[in-house]
Amino acid sequence: MQVTVISPERSVYDGDADSVVAPAFDGEVGILPGHAPFMTLLGEGRLVVREGNVSHNFEVRGGFLQVVGDQVRVVTESASEG
Amino acid sequence: MANPQQLRGRIRSVENTRQITRTMEMVSTSKLKRAQDRVVATRPYAQALSDVIGDLYSPELAERFPLLRQPGDGAKCVALVLITSNRGLCGGFNSNLIKLARARIEQLEQKNVSVRLHLIGKKGIGYFKYIGQEIASAREDIGDKPTVEHAADVVQPLVEAFEREELDAVEVIFANFRSAMSTPPVNQRILPVEAPGARVNKSKSARAAGPVRVPNYILKPSAAEIVSSVLPMYVRNSMYRALVETAAAEHGARRTAMKSATDNAGDMIDSLRRVLNRARQAKITQEIAEIVGGADAS
Repeated sequence: MQVTVISPERSVYDGDADSVVAPAFDGEVGILPGHAPFMTLLGEGRLVVREGNVSHNFEVRGGFLQVVGDQVRVVTESASEG
Repeated sequence: MANPQQLRGRIRSVENTRQITRTMEMVSTSKLKRAQDRVVATRPYAQALSDVIGDLYSPELAERFPLLRQPGDGAKCVALVLITSNRGLCGGFNSNLIKLARARIEQLEQKNVSVRLHLIGKKGIGYFKYIGQEIASAREDIGDKPTVEHAADVVQPLVEAFEREELDAVEVIFANFRSAMSTPPVNQRILPVEAPGARVNKSKSARAAGPVRVPNYILKPSAAEIVSSVLPMYVRNSMYRALVETAAAEHGARRTAMKSATDNAGDMIDSLRRVLNRARQAKITQEIAEIVGGADAS
């Protein structure tokens, strides 16, 4: 599935991934390929985008996550790699 | 005719000026490049936000959100945010922005709407202080690398005032960065948020070609709560984009201004040099004539 992580300044991640774990407003949410159309607000915490053995971590705060088709879009006001 | 000594002095002075303007042009070109990249990088975020608002928006929801409140023609008090640059030497850039702001203020005051003026950038502040206009807020610390925090700082009090119904609209006057050569001043209303319903319908045919939109999401917590947190993000981002575009436009305008200054200096040097050569030649000719005249006499 295709994942994009977008902050106001730039797209911080854009590529394929096998799984996404995001800090939703009420606890962590995991997205695997083939997820139903879904939208949730995000809280504060660590977003993990895993692709094979590589995982990309981001600290995010606020915003939302949207799954449409096989596309995951994480839109957040603050995303820093780490 | 000016004497050659003076002409040489003037040529040297214009050459120095040309050196300065050429350097400024090159500095602006490289700053412009980076500022332009920042403008382009803001687009996916803005697109994502307006997509989501478009997807979730419904007229029933609109009635419940203060940020979507449409006062229509009954607006009583409008906040006008004018973004200008902190530095000059960029041609008509700032005066165009100020001109648009003045026209808008006049237009609103004719309709008996009171205007609260919020200024960003030294040039606008200087002007409105000079003409003695009342200023609601002024800040000159933002500079040419605006951040999301700057935008949030500026917009938060306005959003709160709008929610308390002290303001009926918030408009931003900034330079739209169409390209490095074209940076017209524009007036954008950021509050109330424009109902995106009409826009969605209009672009339906355009969307048919793109990925199929699935309207029935699983929503957590609920459409209303998502919209209520996305709308302020959208407003903050409108302000952020205005700041970023103006910063890029400033560098574009300065580059154009400095390029024409450099070209003009070149033209001036050419014509001064022509005058100088003519003066020098005239002097030589005259001296030869005198020598020949002296030889004949003896």
